Amino acid sequence: MIRALAVALLLVVTAPQPAGAARVVSLNLCADDYLLLLAPEQAVAVSVLAADPALSVVAAAARRVVAVRADAEAVLALRPDLVLAGPYGAQTTLALLERRGMRVERLGLPQDFPAIAAETRWVATLLGEPARGAALLADMQARLDAVPWRRPQPAVFLGARGYVAGPGSLADAVLRAAGLVNSGRAGQPGLEALAAHPPDLLVTATAPDYPSMATDLLRHPALAGIPRREVAPALLVCGGPWTARAVTVLAR
Amino acid sequence: MTRWLALAVAVLFVASLLTGAAGLGVPEPLILWQIRLPRTALALLVGGGLGLSGAVLQGALRNPLADPGLLGIGGCAALGAVVAFYWGLAAVFAPALPLAGLLGAALGCAFLLAFAGRATSGPSLILAGVAASALAAAMLALALTLAPNPFALAEITFWLMGGLEDRTLTHLLLAAGPIVLGCGVLLALGRGLDGLALGEDVAASLGVPVRRTLRLAAAGVALAVGAGAAVAGGIGFVGLVVPHLLRPGVGQRPGALLTPSLLGGAALLLAADLLARVAPLLLPLQQEPRLGVLTALLGAPFLVRIARQVAPGGAG
Amino acid sequence: MIALRAPGVRLGGRDVLHDIVFSAAAGEMVALCGPNGSGKSTLLRALAGLLPEGGAPDPRRVAYLPQGARCAWGMTVAEVAALGRIPHGDNDPAPVERALLACGLDNLRGQRVDRISGGQARRAMLARVLATDAPVLLLDEPTADLDPAAAHAIMALLRRVAHQGGCVLVVLHALDLALRYADRVVVLRGGRIVADAPPDAVLPAAAAAFGLPWGVDPSPRLLPPGP
Repeated sequence: MIRALAVALLLVVTAPQPAGAARVVSLNLCADDYLLLLAPEQAVAVSVLAADPALSVVAAAARRVVAVRADAEAVLALRPDLVLAGPYGAQTTLALLERRGMRVERLGLPQDFPAIAAETRWVATLLGEPARGAALLADMQARLDAVPWRRPQPAVFLGARGYVAGPGSLADAVLRAAGLVNSGRAGQPGLEALAAHPPDLLVTATAPDYPSMATDLLRHPALAGIPRREVAPALLVCGGPWTARAVTVLAR
Repeated sequence: MTRWLALAVAVLFVASLLTGAAGLGVPEPLILWQIRLPRTALALLVGGGLGLSGAVLQGALRNPLADPGLLGIGGCAALGAVVAFYWGLAAVFAPALPLAGLLGAALGCAFLLAFAGRATSGPSLILAGVAASALAAAMLALALTLAPNPFALAEITFWLMGGLEDRTLTHLLLAAGPIVLGCGVLLALGRGLDGLALGEDVAASLGVPVRRTLRLAAAGVALAVGAGAAVAGGIGFVGLVVPHLLRPGVGQRPGALLTPSLLGGAALLLAADLLARVAPLLLPLQQEPRLGVLTALLGAPFLVRIARQVAPGGAG
Repeated sequence: MIALRAPGVRLGGRDVLHDIVFSAAAGEMVALCGPNGSGKSTLLRALAGLLPEGGAPDPRRVAYLPQGARCAWGMTVAEVAALGRIPHGDNDPAPVERALLACGLDNLRGQRVDRISGGQARRAMLARVLATDAPVLLLDEPTADLDPAAAHAIMALLRRVAHQGGCVLVVLHALDLALRYADRVVVLRGGRIVADAPPDAVLPAAAAAFGLPWGVDPSPRLLPPGP
């Protein structure tokens, strides 16, 4: 009897930890969003930008988590099991961490809803929360399916610094999902070109609270006469299931 | 000479109003008033202020290398404007922007006057200016890093190298008053600068109020350059190059250079802005080249040429 | 015509002049001589009204030329001379013309002052001084860095101005120029006036101030140009 108990105890103690009860550090805004939506209890630290409501969809939750910069020493001090990062940036820090045997996973930059779905499923599996991932995707799909049909209207998405979103970009996917036609060409046409050939509808992100020259341009008087819809900027900074909320706003 | 310069300014002004991405010729009123006019008028005012400030600084300091950008006054003005903009002061009270630029420029002038002391005609003044310029640029970068806006640092190229794209009528109205006032103050200093050409002692013996003339020069430069940098960023070399280009035609008397330098600076910046606007339409450029880049391309070789003419240890 | 009574003058924390009682009248040329550091330049600056605690300059009455003054820019000779009209606030060409002619600069008027010889440039500075038509002229070492012919030309010009009714004070290192051209020589030493006499009587005191012996020297020497 006692031998059976001892074996059972041994099995429990030496069994591999279920994927999910991990310490995760995120060094990238988009990874922060996924982490705090899918597995907030595993989050040990997130990036500094996660607490900015103009950029992050999890700003409220991020305030309860430690903020860390992409500094190898600081990350190592947190003793994470997994480090999440974006495809670019912090290369030297990540290389250093990998050399120390740390597990580092780099997220992609999904630019349309199928890619978002694939990314969400992958990250959810990584964090051991496939059910939560499926729930997010179900909500996203419901929003996409709820877009009423109407005559396609041309629209242009104008971002910070006057960049127009072209085909293949996340904003383009949002416009199309909302039943609009993206009539913009990628690049910076300049204020005068926009005012001279104004689009039927201008889609921009709401200006942040803090002063920013990059978004002041969007409020230039020369663009005041163009019909405009605004979406929360955080929905488009990173592609994820939350991006469908922008589609809902535009489809109204 | 002055007549030709005035004509050049008028021609460039009209050309600037007629040129843009919307096509050559008179555009629709919205584009003309809201986009082309602010930009054109600001190029004229900021350029005129810079050219005149350069002529006055060279005369007052007896130094052919004096220039608001080189001496760090432009950099200090930009620093003031950055603090006012990114910490929301300008959002609450719009005139805070040119006022902060003015304050920054005034501090820059005060530093120069205090540091250089009497030895203003030699290289030590330029060294003081280089130090002020470097310090201002570093503090500007620091301010942008600490700003509430996490992407503020990406806008550093505007503040350090200048630009007039996307300016509004509000910017024009904010900057026009101080620049015009500053130029008025500077234009009245002709006699005093003539006297200073022979040294401060001779000027004083001729009845020129030396201290007051220098303070008025500092105030006028602070007004013209400070407000200009607040709306157009840091544009250098205009104040250096314009008086030097005009001396062969106008003569070397400092007082004679004032009005021509104002007109020459306006013409130069109008031309540079026109070029910056047209370049992306002709070349595969992502965005307009910075105005400060264009003036530096012209001015840096000039600086080398002038510096070689200056005898070591004294004004040339 | 001009007078100064200064019990003591301090500059930069040091006592530079002591017990100065000095005056000069119209029609005389007075030379100020003395060893280096004796306060000659400071006395001239005090007379010009340029000392911080002294009086203010009197631009229409007193014209001042400091030592080594040069024009910072390549202005023309005529432009430099015209600066002498600044105290009067007019552009009256007549006094400027007279000054240019008196200084022999008629054919150099369009030349840049940084492209003519040192002597010619110094004369241009002198023309500026004369163009003010001031009754009192104060000049500090106007002959420094000039060759003997140029130096004599300038001293002769100044003597002419004095004898036409001006009051001319000149600080001179070269005692022999002072003895030859001045009506009166004032010798300073250590910030005090130690001698004030016509040239033929001042030599012993001047020699004592310099700490050199004096005598009659029969050896050949350069002479000033003929009349």
